Amino acid sequence: MELREFFNREVVDLDLAAETKDEVLKELVSLLGLDEKSEGILFKMLKRRENLGSTGIGRGIAIPHCRSLVVNRLRVAFGRIPKGIDFDAIDGEPVHYFFLIVAPPLEVSNQYLPVLGKIAQFAKEPDVPERLRTLETPEDFLRLLEEKAI
Amino acid sequence: MHPQLEILLQIQDLKAQRSDLVEVEGERRVEQEEFQINVDEAVERLDQKIAELEDELDPPVRSRYRRLTAGQGRAVVPVINGICYGCFVSIPTALAGDLRRHDEIRHCDHCGRFIYVMS
Repeated sequence: MELREFFNREVVDLDLAAETKDEVLKELVSLLGLDEKSEGILFKMLKRRENLGSTGIGRGIAIPHCRSLVVNRLRVAFGRIPKGIDFDAIDGEPVHYFFLIVAPPLEVSNQYLPVLGKIAQFAKEPDVPERLRTLETPEDFLRLLEEKAI
Repeated sequence: MHPQLEILLQIQDLKAQRSDLVEVEGERRVEQEEFQINVDEAVERLDQKIAELEDELDPPVRSRYRRLTAGQGRAVVPVINGICYGCFVSIPTALAGDLRRHDEIRHCDHCGRFIYVMS
């Protein structure tokens, strides 16, 4: 199982317009194509998770995540805000790159934790922030995941 | 979606989050090491929020919810392809149609859990 398997171009947006934490969470959730009510519930859950402590892990990267009944399988998305926003990251720096992970509470395939761990591992690769900065298309992002083979 | 069902879904999501932090060692470790979460504080805050949401339930719904969580754990489950994912018994076609209207809060005739249709 590699990260590339979980992403497709529809869940990648390299030019998010968000300027606040709430706006970026909403934009990320909208990439999943859920109905309006489900989006609202998921947004609340992600916000509550952020209230426990920011998922901004430093180096311009955040990994908003939660479990929710509004999805029936593991869902992921990636978004980029070129100018960055304040996300209360651990290092206090603006966040530019967002990996969203959502899974149902009872997940048969049990992929949530491994995928969360793999994204954290991907984020620690020395060249990743710069490579994410220079992506030009969603396909470039998918190729980067393939190349890293995490 | 019925507002009471929306609250029930939020409660169950928060309980899942709490249970992961308390019972799943890998998840607790990731939250502590990667995201620097204080697990004890996080659990306390989740408990507070769960209690607040439980207070927002109408008394008959809260009463059924408490009965279900005491006996069967999960109080709210999805219906997928006409099957209740709590007891894995087919639900009647008429009830499946009612579920899509989202005008009332419904439960499985077999196991009694609150049910909803996944979009």
